[in-house]
Amino acid sequence: MTALLRAELIKLRTTRTFLALTGVAVGTSLLICVLVSLLSEPTPEDVLREVFAADTSALFIVMLAIVGITGEWRHRTITSSLLAAPNRLRFLVAKTLAFAAAGLLLSLLISITIAIVGMIILSARDQPTPELGELVGQIIRNAEVATLMGAFGLALGTLVRNQPVAIVGVLMLAFVIEPSLVALAPDVGRFAPFSALSGAIQEMSAEDVGNSDLNLLSPGLAVLAMFAWIGTAFTAGAVLLKRRDLH
Amino acid sequence: MAGVTDAAIEFNGLSKSFGKVQAVKDLSFSVQFGRVTGFLGPNGAGKSTTLRTLLGLIHPQAGTATFGGLQYEQLSHPSAHVGAVLEEASFHPGRSGRNHLRILAAAGSHPDSRVNAVLEQVDLAGAGDRRVKGYSMGMRQRLAIAAALLGDPDVLILDEPSNGLDPPGIRWMRDLLRAEAARGRAVLVSSHLLSEVSQSVDDVVVISHGVLRGAGTLESVLGSADGPVTRVRAGDADRLATLLRQQDHAVEPDGSGALLVRGALPEAVGQVAADHRIALAELVAVARSLEDVFFELTEGEA
Repeated sequence: MTALLRAELIKLRTTRTFLALTGVAVGTSLLICVLVSLLSEPTPEDVLREVFAADTSALFIVMLAIVGITGEWRHRTITSSLLAAPNRLRFLVAKTLAFAAAGLLLSLLISITIAIVGMIILSARDQPTPELGELVGQIIRNAEVATLMGAFGLALGTLVRNQPVAIVGVLMLAFVIEPSLVALAPDVGRFAPFSALSGAIQEMSAEDVGNSDLNLLSPGLAVLAMFAWIGTAFTAGAVLLKRRDLH
Repeated sequence: MAGVTDAAIEFNGLSKSFGKVQAVKDLSFSVQFGRVTGFLGPNGAGKSTTLRTLLGLIHPQAGTATFGGLQYEQLSHPSAHVGAVLEEASFHPGRSGRNHLRILAAAGSHPDSRVNAVLEQVDLAGAGDRRVKGYSMGMRQRLAIAAALLGDPDVLILDEPSNGLDPPGIRWMRDLLRAEAARGRAVLVSSHLLSEVSQSVDDVVVISHGVLRGAGTLESVLGSADGPVTRVRAGDADRLATLLRQQDHAVEPDGSGALLVRGALPEAVGQVAADHRIALAELVAVARSLEDVFFELTEGEA
């Protein structure tokens, strides 16, 4: 498994897509952090969520994971991958762990960067800043979400081989279907992975997620619910991959 | 180990259909170490399906395809036992050839030093750091071969390996196959270039419509179903024909005054003529081309 994981990590960092999307993720997070730090006047209670939860790594790692697995089909590299790792379940586990690890590292990179930049700007403006312990807690929560989203994105990508369809589908899910569910059916929407569960893990308020009436799960339960989503998508994807003939 | 055999590769009753199309039907043959086996058949004969089934990429409905009795997935280090070049070998276009090999080396637990070694072996050392999308078709084919050689495997499987290679590349490929077999490796190579195959294989397997049409050494397959064929021109052709028929050989005139003797080597025909003091003007083995045999076995469908 270590060898397969190493191979998947090399795959990740040897294409320009990964470097480009990482750059965009860092850039957008930094831009949001700088603008909010410069333009807002947060209260001591809100500063952590308003400035230091601007980590966009979760969204980008989902995209990267989908590109990573669907790219195997698009470029037909799935054949050489499965010749090197004929046990398809082990291949999928290694790929899932690789993108979870990538999500973790990407989030840490972004969260630490925006923490430093945000603290400098807020301090210079004599605005309230969070305690170091609170800041570390936020960085860890951001990383938790990105790690889970890396695994979730990969599992979703195994279900749909067509790359554009998979990406558009996930964007629709994250930005259209889930917000609608959260707004119109909050009892169902509280289990939505991209908004409600991620928000719950990051200890955001229901209002920040999109509906002040939303009864968010506790962070621990939200993590368990994310594991359930990942497990379901992964199992379905693994069954599909196992059965598929590679022509 | 249960089920372990001496053959490098063994197909036993392999069958696979896609919907109503029977791609491979009850296919059985084996491939030996130290020999190059040509796997021939017209387009759509089932060659690629057979090879992909052997490599665990396609699931058979019946039968087995094994390496020393073990399925590909059961091999402890697959890429150290088997190297494969499949038709339409594909690579991520934005990744360099070297990085493609580094990934496969990592997955197969092969040392990084093998990457440089195989790049040198296939003459791509100078282009290893270029992105694959800038490679010619021949370079991609060489990269695919480098990937197959990465684990220094005992068995090589190549599906149309000459595709995209220029004449020097084809010669290089032929030499490579012969060299690998000379080192004791089993080489199974599918090709539609019959002239190319005839110069590099020891054994031949011919399939058509997914069914085995012929298998054996190149010499035996180039002979007819009745065995070798000899052309003889004799002073007393009628008497010689009678004598040969008495020895159960099929004899027929070839239309130019000579006789075609089926099932007899020139030595045997010459012995009969000498025993009965019949003068001979010509005595030669009739060599058929692999193409002739191929068309016969596949009923001209290629």
